[in-house]
Amino acid sequence: MTVRRVLILVPTLLLLILLQSYFWVPTYEQQTRGNPNRLNEYIAGSIGDAGLLNPILSADSASSDIESMVFEGLIDRDEELRFRGRLVTSWEIYEEAFFFINESAKIPGLGVSDPQTVVDFIKKAQKTETIDIPNLQDTLANIVSIQVLPPHEFSITRKVQDPKDKSENTTIEINVAAPAEIKLTLKHVDQNLFENLAQLLGKDYFNSFSGTKYLSFHPQVETKKMDTYAREIIPATKHNPILLFHLRPNVKFHDGHVFDAYDVKFTYESIINPKNLSPRIADYEPVKDVEVLDPQTVKIVYKRLYSPAIGTWSIGILPEHLLNSLALKKEAHHHGVDAGTFTMRQSSFNRNPIGCGPFKFNQWKSDQYIALDRFDDYWEGPPNYNRYVYRIIPDLLTQEMEFYAGTIDSYNVQPHQVGRLSTDPRFQNFSGTSFGYTYIGYNMRREPFDDIRIRKALSMAIDVDKIIDYVLYGQGERITGPFIKQTDYYNHNIQPIAYDPKGALKLLAKAGWNRNRAGWLEKNGKKFQFTLITNSGNDLRKAILAVAQDAWKKIGIDVRTDLLEWSVFIQERVDKADFDALILGWQMGIEPDLFQIWHSSQTNPYQLNFVGFKNEEADDLIVKIRQEYNHDKQVRYCHQLHEIIAGQQPYTFLYVGKWTSILDKRIVIKEIDSNGHLYYQKIKPTLTGSYSFHFNKWIKLPEAPHFMDEG
Amino acid sequence: MLAFISRSIIQKIITLFFVSVVSFLIIHLAPGKPSQVDPLNPKFTPEVVERFRKEFHLDKPLHVQYLYFYRDLFTGQTVSWKDNQSVLNKIWERFLNSLPLFIVGTILTWTLSFPIGIRSAIFRGHIYDRSTTFFSYLMISIPGFFFAYILIIFVVTRFHVPVIGMETFGLGDAPIPHVLMDRIWHLLLPSILGATGGIAVLSRYVRSQMLEVEGQEYIRTAKAKGLPPELVHYKHALRNALLPFVTMFGLILPGLIGGSVIIESIFSWPGMGRMAYEAILARDYPVILTVNFVSAVLVLVGTFISDILYLVVDPRIRL
Repeated sequence: MTVRRVLILVPTLLLLILLQSYFWVPTYEQQTRGNPNRLNEYIAGSIGDAGLLNPILSADSASSDIESMVFEGLIDRDEELRFRGRLVTSWEIYEEAFFFINESAKIPGLGVSDPQTVVDFIKKAQKTETIDIPNLQDTLANIVSIQVLPPHEFSITRKVQDPKDKSENTTIEINVAAPAEIKLTLKHVDQNLFENLAQLLGKDYFNSFSGTKYLSFHPQVETKKMDTYAREIIPATKHNPILLFHLRPNVKFHDGHVFDAYDVKFTYESIINPKNLSPRIADYEPVKDVEVLDPQTVKIVYKRLYSPAIGTWSIGILPEHLLNSLALKKEAHHHGVDAGTFTMRQSSFNRNPIGCGPFKFNQWKSDQYIALDRFDDYWEGPPNYNRYVYRIIPDLLTQEMEFYAGTIDSYNVQPHQVGRLSTDPRFQNFSGTSFGYTYIGYNMRREPFDDIRIRKALSMAIDVDKIIDYVLYGQGERITGPFIKQTDYYNHNIQPIAYDPKGALKLLAKAGWNRNRAGWLEKNGKKFQFTLITNSGNDLRKAILAVAQDAWKKIGIDVRTDLLEWSVFIQERVDKADFDALILGWQMGIEPDLFQIWHSSQTNPYQLNFVGFKNEEADDLIVKIRQEYNHDKQVRYCHQLHEIIAGQQPYTFLYVGKWTSILDKRIVIKEIDSNGHLYYQKIKPTLTGSYSFHFNKWIKLPEAPHFMDEG
Repeated sequence: MLAFISRSIIQKIITLFFVSVVSFLIIHLAPGKPSQVDPLNPKFTPEVVERFRKEFHLDKPLHVQYLYFYRDLFTGQTVSWKDNQSVLNKIWERFLNSLPLFIVGTILTWTLSFPIGIRSAIFRGHIYDRSTTFFSYLMISIPGFFFAYILIIFVVTRFHVPVIGMETFGLGDAPIPHVLMDRIWHLLLPSILGATGGIAVLSRYVRSQMLEVEGQEYIRTAKAKGLPPELVHYKHALRNALLPFVTMFGLILPGLIGGSVIIESIFSWPGMGRMAYEAILARDYPVILTVNFVSAVLVLVGTFISDILYLVVDPRIRL
């Protein structure tokens, strides 16, 4: 009967056609099936799409992933996190320091002196070899040249808001008759220069300098304000650190244009141009001036000592010829829009970027992928891969499936999968600790958290190892302080606080808290009770909330918990410091600058030291760290600071998370040795765990190779 | 006949008008705003929001907005707020992507359901009937997304082949047979998933319709006069059982545009259903309303076609 046969045959045939197609599709094992080029391309997966592909404007991680391929910075960090030249071959860091002649201070052995006498005096001291004042000799030896700047006059205007009527601005004209100034050029940056010189020129030589008398105001202002202006306009002493970059010659942008010093200057100017609304602007605020000495040399002068500034030059350099005001005007004209409101933000460059990185931009399909092609003229030699594709796959399970199928080359493993996937023989796996940590912070303005014994006891009562084992599936490490664990700033001598509920009770008893009949801790008839909060939507923090509550309950503390929606949590509780204790995490950069999070001046509402940590010694170290240009000294200060913070326990430092990534085993490093022989090498992560450091040398082989050291 | 057709068309146009009004109102009453005019969106200043509002006519009263929208729709000028692309072009592009899924799924459903359903009607109460009943209800009650994930995980971890999307990513330079076969492979899982649900439901209907017809006296007559059983079931019985399926067949037409939101989302299939879903999330009113309108038209056309088909299938019906 035909009807029946048709009804059964048609779907069967259809299914057979569908099923046989399996033999045509590339599988994980045979990724080249029908597509031999697959070995020459690397496909990465990402949860989110990029925003703007412009290193000075973008703020999301997807954009910076692409930018790191398309653009190149002046410097970056090498395997051991030291700075390394990229677009520069070398650089020098030195300093110009200035101080005004103090016309009223007496110099020991000289009395009140004119500028030339002071210069001669310092020069003479330099030659005297037997100065037994500590540090002074080093400081003097560091001075390369001394110069007198004659007195000069200038006038400036300042706009001041009228305190009564806020909309009124009054303009104050300030005439300055600056006294003679002495300029010292130093070999190395020296934050103790004036401190040490004061031992030579008299203890109060710099302190007693008052600039007020050299200023005249029109209209007149209060004396208090005058002092503020004087300190700002003619400060007694001034440090101007200088970065001198020698650029790499013959580096080309993707369009063939040769890179030079004007591109560096242009990138800087674009960042500080308020019209561009660059999120990076704060990093460049300390820059006083960027000067092009010649097309291969840039001199960057800073307003003050600020060592984290060096790292900011890893920013991708923009091509001036494509984005300067003339080019933007042309583009605005082309689109028929008003050139006055047309800024770099509107430029089509952001979807079609050109830099001097190893890969050049090819195509961007929103929410699907971004494709980059190899740049054959890359200064360090072109990468091995022909193509780099950045796929946008918002769903993690889909990412995982695509990885198993060979259509993504790497996958970031979820903590609960690590046990299974890191032993899978088909993949190579890498893991490391992330740049950040999770903590419980205590509001030190409130009782009883102002007592260090209480904070210590609370830390002792929590079994962090259990949290790591059960909440993080073992994918975490203990941390004892505020620095990144892989850097040498982190003080490894400090031991984490051990789990010791009995010891915690003893400490609490010392602080006056004893258990009552019901088992709750009590002091003067008041129960130990507080609320621990965190933001909702983060399952890890939610789990820690429960663990901490339970651990503290066990020693008799009545802890309430609360989960708040992120914006409410930040705006209402954290920013206003309205909390007892909270669970949060910090993501950090490599620079050890802790000013915003730990300095006592940052404890006001809306600032990041919301736990209210105040410690003079720590403040001093924090400032010293950001002013120190010598790595070893910086490390020493950091270790001291780490010790202080760990001792004070303003946070219970919980853990730093571990990440694991898996990669197709056929991906290896391909290199050519000095004899011209090709050889392959296994991908080895750097000290910090970064496995993609040598990405440009990667290539995929048709078969997974066996290396000698694997046995 | 002609009178019926013209009457029916007039009725349907009136229905369509009400559908358009109601859907327009519902969408504007729904909470949330298009991200371009959302005052909470940090990306835009109040001036920009105001400019967008003007451009989208959101500052006008609702009835004026309604007129603007349908004027644009009928002149083919509607553009999506998200990317300023013509909505009709977008829908056409997505429609073409959904079409193969729809065709394969429909063929599988509307063929396999009949032998399965008829057989279980014939062997009512036997082990075959019981097991198909069991599996049908299993397929109906398991949520589609769950089944989809299980299937994906099984196929990928077992065979290490890509199954997500419309084609294997990065297959750009491959020869044409490979590309074609690759596309066919990617059709397999989503269409099977779509079909299993459909077969489970439809074979139940076939079974109950057949049971009703099989009890009729003319079937007994046909059996008694010695006709082969196949002929009895597939000719005499099936023809008479087909009538309700005519209605159902008319109603699969709107499925063309609705697509399958869940399956398309799970398989990252850039089809109609997913576009409509994303448009709803982004409050992209022009896209939502156009899809809505087109599917309303298709529903009405579908019922119209099934009315006509009735005439053809059942000579007793005279309109």
